[in-house]
Amino acid sequence: MYRIGVDVGGTFTDFVMEKQGGGSIAFYKVPSTPDDPSEAIASGIVEMLKRHSVDPGDIAYVGHGTTVATNMVIEHRGVPTGLLTTRGFRDVLAIGRQTRPSLYDWGVRKVAPLVERYRRREIDERIDRRGTALVVPDAAEIEAEVRALRDSGVEAIAVGFLHSYRNAAHERAVRDLIAKIAPDIFVSISSEVVAEFREFERFSTTVLNAYVGPRTRKYLHRLRDRIAAAGISVEPLTFHSNGGLLPVRTVEELPVLTCLSGPAAGVIGATRIGAEIGQSEIITFDVGGTSTDVSLITKGKPQFTSSRLVSGHPVRMPMVDIHVIGAGGGSIARIDDAGALKVGPVSAGAVPGPISYLRGGTEVTLTDANIVLGRLNPVALLEGRMKVDRGLAETAIRTKIAEPLGLSVEAAAAGIIRIATANMSRAIRSVSTEHGHDLSQFALYAFGGAGALHAAEVAEECGLDRIVVPREPGTLCARGVLLSDVSRDYVRTALIVAGDAGWGEVVAMGAGMREDGEAWLASEARSEAAHELRFTLDARYLGQSHSIAVPLETLDAAAMTDFIARFHAAHNDQFGYRLDDQPVEIVNIRLKAVRFVEKGAAPEAEAGLTLAEAQIESRQVYFADGWAPTPVYRRAGLPYGAPFSGPAIVEEMSGTTVVLPGQRAELDRFGNIHITRAQG
Amino acid sequence: MTQVQAQAETPAAGFDAIAMEVFANRLLSITEAMAINMMRSSFSTQIKERRDFSVGLFDAGGRLVAQGTHIPVHLGSLMGAVDAVLARFPRDQIAPGDAFICNDPYVAGGTHLPDISIATPLFVEGRLEAFTVNIGHHNDIGGPVPGSTSALSRSIFEEGLRIPVMRVCRGGEIDEDLLAMIALNTRLPEERILDLKVQIATNIRGGEQTRELIHRMGAGAFRARIEDLLDYTRRRLALRIATLEGRGQGHFTAHLDDDGIPGGDPVPLCATVGVEAGRLVIDFAGSGPEARGALNIAQNALRATAYYCVKALLDPELMANSGMMDAIDLRAPVGTIVNPADPAPVGSRTIACQRLAGAIFGAFQPLIEPAQRMASSYDVLPSFDFSGRDPETGKYFICGETVGGGGGARNDADGMDGIHVHITNSLNLPVEAMENEAPLMCREYGLRPDTGGAGRWRGGMGIIRTVEALHAGTMVSARSDRHSAGAPGSEGGAPGGTGRIRRNPGTPREEELSSKIARLPFAAGDTLCIEIPGGGGFGPPADRPDDLLAVDLRDGIFSEDHAREVFGHEKVARVLARLKTSAAG
Repeated sequence: MYRIGVDVGGTFTDFVMEKQGGGSIAFYKVPSTPDDPSEAIASGIVEMLKRHSVDPGDIAYVGHGTTVATNMVIEHRGVPTGLLTTRGFRDVLAIGRQTRPSLYDWGVRKVAPLVERYRRREIDERIDRRGTALVVPDAAEIEAEVRALRDSGVEAIAVGFLHSYRNAAHERAVRDLIAKIAPDIFVSISSEVVAEFREFERFSTTVLNAYVGPRTRKYLHRLRDRIAAAGISVEPLTFHSNGGLLPVRTVEELPVLTCLSGPAAGVIGATRIGAEIGQSEIITFDVGGTSTDVSLITKGKPQFTSSRLVSGHPVRMPMVDIHVIGAGGGSIARIDDAGALKVGPVSAGAVPGPISYLRGGTEVTLTDANIVLGRLNPVALLEGRMKVDRGLAETAIRTKIAEPLGLSVEAAAAGIIRIATANMSRAIRSVSTEHGHDLSQFALYAFGGAGALHAAEVAEECGLDRIVVPREPGTLCARGVLLSDVSRDYVRTALIVAGDAGWGEVVAMGAGMREDGEAWLASEARSEAAHELRFTLDARYLGQSHSIAVPLETLDAAAMTDFIARFHAAHNDQFGYRLDDQPVEIVNIRLKAVRFVEKGAAPEAEAGLTLAEAQIESRQVYFADGWAPTPVYRRAGLPYGAPFSGPAIVEEMSGTTVVLPGQRAELDRFGNIHITRAQG
Repeated sequence: MTQVQAQAETPAAGFDAIAMEVFANRLLSITEAMAINMMRSSFSTQIKERRDFSVGLFDAGGRLVAQGTHIPVHLGSLMGAVDAVLARFPRDQIAPGDAFICNDPYVAGGTHLPDISIATPLFVEGRLEAFTVNIGHHNDIGGPVPGSTSALSRSIFEEGLRIPVMRVCRGGEIDEDLLAMIALNTRLPEERILDLKVQIATNIRGGEQTRELIHRMGAGAFRARIEDLLDYTRRRLALRIATLEGRGQGHFTAHLDDDGIPGGDPVPLCATVGVEAGRLVIDFAGSGPEARGALNIAQNALRATAYYCVKALLDPELMANSGMMDAIDLRAPVGTIVNPADPAPVGSRTIACQRLAGAIFGAFQPLIEPAQRMASSYDVLPSFDFSGRDPETGKYFICGETVGGGGGARNDADGMDGIHVHITNSLNLPVEAMENEAPLMCREYGLRPDTGGAGRWRGGMGIIRTVEALHAGTMVSARSDRHSAGAPGSEGGAPGGTGRIRRNPGTPREEELSSKIARLPFAAGDTLCIEIPGGGGFGPPADRPDDLLAVDLRDGIFSEDHAREVFGHEKVARVLARLKTSAAG
């Protein structure tokens, strides 16, 4: 049996297929079909199966990462949506946190809410902070408002009432009424999407869920049908932004969970590869066409954050913490009017793209600099499938950058790379300082189309001693999907001080959440596989507004002392002090339900190869000391355990690795390239 | 920047565009690490959550090289402290292991007393190479009113502890005696000591990273790249200033409702902007006399306000360093609200700074490109707080909030609704957070229809927030402005709606309050309703496209009656008819 992981990107859809139980791995890539991403997924799978002579009936697993929901928000392609909220609060969605998006630039505007003001309607109801219903909503009023919304053309309704994280009765009553009078309308209630306090973020997340709900559902059905039509009998799983997979049913209900999930899969992939080779301290470095995604893995675990923006709209969901900057292969290099050379954040994107890609690009990009210096293959990329024109790039760099600065073409191209390196390095330093870590203990995991191209210089700039480049780095996100488990996160706000009285309440709330989690696990198709339920408490010293996450072994009556001790220790670790006499407040209870997925053992590299056989050619490549004849190797032909010195270039379908003079590279038995500084 | 006709001055000899950009990123990594350290380690909400602090790196000569800041009110606020240190101590008295502390606006370059600065010299191989500096807003620095920023103070001696430039570290050792003395003069002494130690440690950390950078690139190259960076910033701003030349002067006057003392007369804030010999000059002549209340703008607050405006109006991406600041001349007549004399009170200068920023924006309008022009925003930092003893917990509570208003319409877009403008940008206090923290209940939190100034583009709407005190004995203070006249429109646009503060609206006990109230007792069930002004409109209302007005009416941004008044009966009737047809279809 075989397992397939898929990652849908803006330009390409990537596939990785492994044999269950280990032994072989295959990588594939086809152009994406943005109008209906399921088309490329299905046709790519069919082509890949044909290529490798695998019967569709032998596919035991399909998981995919998708940007369908995210793109719907970015491109304003969700459905007309309404909001029902507490009387007096319909503008919460428009006020947001009352900040303007740019401190200095008045041309940058606050995003418009996804629900227009006339479709944000108020219901006479009120619950107080303890969950007591002060005003109970009237069914006739609700009906009238729902009809008004339906008549205005909405296909989805979000319901968000104040303090519903404490008492969901009013929201549920409204949901049930809508189901009765307008059963075709997609409904999301805030207490079910994210039962956390702070109304704006909860409402925003709920509205976003409703807005993308109907069309995500249609997409999932198309995908399911196409996969079934291809002869595959398993239902496709979908990757979520907290680094796990969801069944179709859950995504239909909570599509918002998949927003921003793409880059998270790469981080999970890096975590698992690190575990295979015994590395637990990792900086992930994922460089694509328009952006660089950086994240930190410590003690073998990615870092998580509780909220991010999707096209300006806050989404409150636990998710892998990724720092994104606008630097990628398509980043445009320009000299500004006062004579400084800037690289990015403006990008030429996939279209028109770099000048050398011949898709109409006219601005010098980072990729053009790499081609001019011979770092990227100056003839063709993607294993020869895509022709490039080095001459055009050279001319553009000469006239636009080199001559105005009084430099040679090489020095100008190298300068573009140095500046991009400096930008990317700043992102890496900021991620590590943010989490209070010393960079020198970390290995840099380079992936994405251009990560391995820049990792060597970025590592030097940041003082990192080790680089790891996984096989086919451009498809690591698809591989991450293959290396993940099915999981779902639950949260409820407590705001309870840890003490004899309050703890009982926390334990009781936790028990309710555990029931939900168990019910979800039981309803899942692979219900026989091993599972786990893990609690985490977000806590703070009473009076603070900033909480930290404290993982627990169990949540029962006896666990309080252990929790308080862990909280003090964690606070001391993160902030450098503890206040032993200060009461500790539990802000949120979090539960993660995990169903483990059986994965193949890491495929080992082929034996019996030699370096000489792996060498494709020797070409001139420009480094700090000038042009140097540089061996170019084919990744798949490289032997493991046979170190080679830089300068060297390693090419494969989805990426190019640069080894600088003075560096040394070697493959491990799984085929990962390790680059270190040469000794002496 | 499109129609820039100015010719760039040639860079100085030795200018290295690539090395400079790499250097800028390395410097920003240092200031970012300092900022993260401040935020992570500090205790007080003011620094940790509101990010009311700033960090920076100066060269040995006291020039600001790089700054990390999250609110513009701190732009350039670090410069005062370094100037004060260098004025107070001859170079040979500054030694490795020193750190200096100060906060006084009159003798130590401060902005108001709660903002405490720490400046730490960095020596490499025995030579002074740089200063790492930070400033943080402390929740309290003493005086009769908690928070130390009451608008009603009559002199700086009522605003808390004044600290001249003093050594807080010698030979790397913290002067615990001095810290204890400072802490004892504040309401939350433990928090003060914790935060001041974080400030001291932040500079040491930034200093270590700067030392590494100097070792890596060499002291000579470090100094050369600083010259490049300052020179580049200066040349870049010179290009922007050159585009203003030949357009004469711009002038604008804003009026504060009063001078901080209820019943006081309106106070003019005047700004005249022009270019003289390639330098940008902002002259505040005509501004009113020193305020009796704490609305005076000390020199460093004036600088921050002016630098913010220049950056926002001419080049938002411009690096905040001495290269920018040295090209700007500020002229503020002595003894006025913009150049007060010791001991005039300065604690709540933020409202005055906001109105002054509005005046500077207004003065710039005729000089900048038409595409960049905008009408006045609400230009206030309204705030309120409730305090008292919570009978359920027996504990004292204080719950404060600042409230957003309407942004001015631009020449190509409506003004933003419900935002912070100019020198602040603080997150709101969510309703659910407020009700969990204090015995209060929010009755309404929304946007105010009819407060955006009408125009081709409408101004942004102000916010309305109504809060009920659940228990007797709750004290309420509030500060706002622009209660007497709305934010002016531009090029034919109408003014935005004015602000007001009421107690118990919609009840027989309703009363309108003044724009600045302090410690008013509230009974159980009493409500405070604060309404924030909107922004001015841009262009004649008659030019507003029908489809945009249709959305305004559909969404209740303008009521029908108000729309008829400002857009005319005929236009509104036409739009309404169309709305009805489309609803029926």
